Amino acid sequence: MSETDIRIDIRNLVVDYGDVRAVDDVSLSVGRGELVTLLGPSGCGKTTTLRSVAGLEDPTGGSIALNGTLVYSAPERRNTPAEKRGVSMVFQSYAIWPHMTVFDNVAYGLRVRRMSANDIRSNVMRVLDLVQMRNFADRPASRLSGGQQQRVAVARAIAFSPEVLLFDEPLSNLDAKLRVSMRVELRELQKGLGITALYVTHDQEEALAISDRVIVMNAGRIEQIGTPEDIYRHPRTLFVADFVGNANVIQGQARGAPVGGEVNFVTVGGPVLRAAAGHAQAKGDAAALQAAYVDIFAPGRTDVPNATPGTIHRCMFHGDFIQYVVDWPCGQLLVRRPPTNRFAEGSAVTVSFAPEHCVVL
Amino acid sequence: MNTAVERRGPDRRLGRFLVVPGILATIGLLVIYPVFFLVTESLNVGVSGTFPPEDIGFGNYQDMVSDTQVLWNTAFVAVLATVMAIGFGLLLAWILTRTAIPGRRRLERLMELPYYMTPLVGALAWGVIAAPKTGLANQLGRLLGANGNFLNIYSAWGIAWVMALFEGTVAFVMISAAMKSMDPSMEESARVLGAGKFRVALTVTLPMILPGIVSATIFVFAEMLSAFAAAFVLGIPSRFIVITTVIWQSTSAYPPEYGRAAAMGLCLFVVLAVAIGLARLVLRKGSYATITGKAFRPRPMRLGARAWPMVTVCWAYLTLAVFLPMAALLMTSFQKFATVIVGDMRFTLDNYASVFRQGAVASALTNSFVLGLGVATVGSLLVGVLTWVIFRARVPARSLVEYVVMFPQAVPRLVFGLGLLWAWLWIGQVLPFTLYGTLWILGLAYLTVLLPLGVRTLAGVVLQIDKSLEECARVCGASWSHQMRTVTLPLMRPGIAAAWLLIFISSVRELGASLFLMGPHSKVIGPAIVDAWLTASSELSAAMALVQTGVVFVAVIFLLRVTRRYSGEPA
Amino acid sequence: MRQRFRAAVSMLAVGFATALAMTAAEAASCPNPRQMDGFKTCADVAKAEQEGEVVFYTTDPPQGTTEVMNDFMKAFPKIKATFLRLQAGNLFQRLMSERQAKTNVADVMSISEMTFATDLQKRGGYMQYESPEYAAYRKEYKSQPEGYFGWGTLIVAGLAYNPKLVPANEAPKNWPDALNATFKDAVNTKLSTSGLQDAVWYKLRQLYGEDYWTKFATLQPHGFDSYVQQFDHMVNGQDKLVHTAQYSAYLQLKAKGADLQFVFPTDGVVVGQAVYGVIEGAPHPETAKLMLDWFLGKPGQASLQNHHYLSSPRTDMAPPPGGIPTGQMKVLLIDDWDAYLKSRPQFVREWDKITGIR
Repeated sequence: MSETDIRIDIRNLVVDYGDVRAVDDVSLSVGRGELVTLLGPSGCGKTTTLRSVAGLEDPTGGSIALNGTLVYSAPERRNTPAEKRGVSMVFQSYAIWPHMTVFDNVAYGLRVRRMSANDIRSNVMRVLDLVQMRNFADRPASRLSGGQQQRVAVARAIAFSPEVLLFDEPLSNLDAKLRVSMRVELRELQKGLGITALYVTHDQEEALAISDRVIVMNAGRIEQIGTPEDIYRHPRTLFVADFVGNANVIQGQARGAPVGGEVNFVTVGGPVLRAAAGHAQAKGDAAALQAAYVDIFAPGRTDVPNATPGTIHRCMFHGDFIQYVVDWPCGQLLVRRPPTNRFAEGSAVTVSFAPEHCVVL
Repeated sequence: MNTAVERRGPDRRLGRFLVVPGILATIGLLVIYPVFFLVTESLNVGVSGTFPPEDIGFGNYQDMVSDTQVLWNTAFVAVLATVMAIGFGLLLAWILTRTAIPGRRRLERLMELPYYMTPLVGALAWGVIAAPKTGLANQLGRLLGANGNFLNIYSAWGIAWVMALFEGTVAFVMISAAMKSMDPSMEESARVLGAGKFRVALTVTLPMILPGIVSATIFVFAEMLSAFAAAFVLGIPSRFIVITTVIWQSTSAYPPEYGRAAAMGLCLFVVLAVAIGLARLVLRKGSYATITGKAFRPRPMRLGARAWPMVTVCWAYLTLAVFLPMAALLMTSFQKFATVIVGDMRFTLDNYASVFRQGAVASALTNSFVLGLGVATVGSLLVGVLTWVIFRARVPARSLVEYVVMFPQAVPRLVFGLGLLWAWLWIGQVLPFTLYGTLWILGLAYLTVLLPLGVRTLAGVVLQIDKSLEECARVCGASWSHQMRTVTLPLMRPGIAAAWLLIFISSVRELGASLFLMGPHSKVIGPAIVDAWLTASSELSAAMALVQTGVVFVAVIFLLRVTRRYSGEPA
Repeated sequence: MRQRFRAAVSMLAVGFATALAMTAAEAASCPNPRQMDGFKTCADVAKAEQEGEVVFYTTDPPQGTTEVMNDFMKAFPKIKATFLRLQAGNLFQRLMSERQAKTNVADVMSISEMTFATDLQKRGGYMQYESPEYAAYRKEYKSQPEGYFGWGTLIVAGLAYNPKLVPANEAPKNWPDALNATFKDAVNTKLSTSGLQDAVWYKLRQLYGEDYWTKFATLQPHGFDSYVQQFDHMVNGQDKLVHTAQYSAYLQLKAKGADLQFVFPTDGVVVGQAVYGVIEGAPHPETAKLMLDWFLGKPGQASLQNHHYLSSPRTDMAPPPGGIPTGQMKVLLIDDWDAYLKSRPQFVREWDKITGIR
């Protein structure tokens, strides 16, 4: 990425609250048109990082640049106030002002920029169209449902065509089905308008679905940065493996030198598996295996990779998939299979998985 | 699940049925029963003060109509003073809760100071500062070449100014309690959209704390209508008469005209009833739930260079309301006889010697303190429950509760004190014991007249609590009282702490009702200072007032240390 | 022989009459008043000390009253004396309300208006008690008939001015001099709630006619509820002249070193009074009687003079500190109490207009 294409550039950001270090030496950059997600559990520092970019926090060290301009710099003692940064933000609680109409809410940023009444009107209607809220323009904002408020919040944020848009867990207050459809809409909007976005969520499914890149954070530090597939398929730490997807963590030890990207993995339970060699700094004392990558066959099969005998302990129907808990020599294995074939509880089976799906950490 | 709900149904309904009548009965006894005496007396056109009255008629009310000048004066001063007081309160509340000016914590604590000074003493002090001809400010003005008097505190504007200075801090406390409970993301989203701090304050903050502002305005307006100390000191000599001075005259005259006083007092209530009605209309219009379940920290705005004018505004207010009057009082308290002509001044410690020597002052102070602690503690809890019932409970006739509780506020304390006197005097004939002449009756009186203050302070806070927070507790199985105790009351902590403080200080400086209810064994400090002012010397009363203010101030600092932990703020 | 008989009979008759009269006089007071330290009393002192308490209702300033109570308690250590101080109207109303509700709290009362005292007497509110100390008081200073109340202190009202603002040639020497136009918007008085003001209004009206007050109204006087404020405003230069100026206030301020002048108008000072009496139904009757005797006797009088600077109605007392004895003053007393009492409503109406209250 060329320098001019970096829209958000965070370097060595540190944010302290009294004795607590909420953000510990975080560095990341977001390119033009990218949607980068900060993913992690509550308290990991993702929201604080986002708010620092917005100018709503008082960091302790590091620097933040937006569109090439330094807006925060500890050595220069500069901290541009939020209203001067020109970034837009969608809040978790939407922060829709109940004492104004939908139109007035959306028009707020435009009025601040002293646009003409005609320009304001056309812009407001344009963005309301984008979020399918045109008919609500004159409704008092206090009478909107959660989903409607969320759309208005988004419309308000994009009304003045910002280049950078920040999202603070915007979907967490919605019900599940709405969440799924809204995330698609948000992604469409972002791509369609070419807006650079920094997105914060604790929902890993959401992060994987909409992001160009995902940054997994834990206790104020970055665990891993990568594309969604990267993070999912090649977790680098136990935390990432545990947090993203539904991974099984197998205890054991990698043995010998990797050959063609594969290595022997001696499990604590006994069986020796062929696993994918982890990254250079991998400790090698555990391996991660996503539940979706495990196959179940009739017992006694030996022609499939990493074939190991096991017994179905529990079977739960989830609609889109069946989740099995399988007893196997290394403990219990979580498996997700399409709902077409069903193995009964208690039956003996063979579990199998490709070496590339079993990543050494 | 349905059967479970039905099984609990009748109990809950019964509980609800009992709550409101129970509250109404208690409050009714405290508030309505004395009013009954007032109403009877207002219809008494025979010999004043006899019960039951011999002649009944509307003569007192008819007489009032001819006093149009007085009515106009009262309205003018009350409106003017209210506007000024709310202006002060709003400005200060915004500066101190929403911006990060240097010394903010200290200023916030200092903002309570004006309330320690009784308006009587404030008026006296400002008399020294801005009296025509001899006021210090005018003397200074003449030194600088001005002609005549450029400040005259003995006027309608002077009265309004003094009242507003001292009530401004009440408005500040109420409005800042509401501001502190506001969801900061409302303002942050405006800032992110590019709005400068002032624009945010005007277009977002202000409308959202409207419930708090409306509450404060009504309360302050009622206080102004029924205030009498400032008008008494500054109005009578300048022939600017308001309703409360007329009431004072009526009750001090012989033969006393209690009927006239009662009628005038009751009419002020009508005005307030209308005001409350309007307020409820305003508050009902929008949902203002802003305390939600999300964890949040209200974040103050940084102002940079623009902070300094703000800091100046705060210190200017404190100077005008506290330091300048205190200085004037200090100077007066050390004088042998009160004069502002520098060349004539003679100084002495005699006044303070009198204050400390006389056991009477010490016992009056102790009484006031004990009463203050008791009334504030009982009062703030009672007020928590009452406010919730009025604004949140789904019970019938809760607006009736509000009217009943707020009633004493609009009736001038002087008049209400009379009603209380008669009410509790006569109850001694029914009950085997009597509270008459004891501290208990003062305590009950204070509780009655100060409940409105607590309710107003909490109203803004209660309205902003999201219902789901309480409903969650109920769903978890908590009974109503358990929910109140463990969820609602703790959420109202900042408001309850503020109410406690206000009630405590108001009790200690209470004057109007105490004048009539004191007994030989139950003296309190407010009337003692007035007595000194009327019968001893301004210097002695200045000394007493300073001692009272100082002792209260120390007590409150100590109490704040304790309660700050309770209200959840860092010390 | 007949002449001697007639002489004897008349002498007997005279003797009888005298004896009767003497017995009557003595029976009104008690036969053996006990001599205490400085005064006589008919109260049962032992019983009084058993009662141990006395409650005094008064209109006198509380600071001075505290000292007076202390003096009483020094003389009678076994008795606890407490007081309640209110303005005259409020005090009287309080007493009346309590009596109506049959809750008796007050034992002895001192009230600064005759109107209240006569009213209370009519309603049977005073206990009939012939204090032996009444003997030292003129008839005009006691109730008719004797034994209900007596004037404990005299409140002398004249004029006072600020010598810095009022040159010697403008200084008033009598009541009409106070009507000088130079005092416009620079003179103060009391309000219509003051009994003393009522007395001044009444007497000067008698002496000079309605005209006096019509002219006075044009000066637009400032009305104050208390003499303290009247004098404060004069001493610090807001006003030049105090009309209806209390001599006791002048003495107090003079003692503190203030610069002011008092005028005994050549036509005479008007005198108000504080009326003392025992309340009927008092909870502590014997202590009440003891206290009344003490007040009317020399020790109480001295105490009142020292702490309140008020003048004593007794001719055998020294004047208050720094003052002249009442005997040396030309005093204008109200002689027709009924007419005075009837004129009260008129006074209130007129005076409220003069002070701008109505």
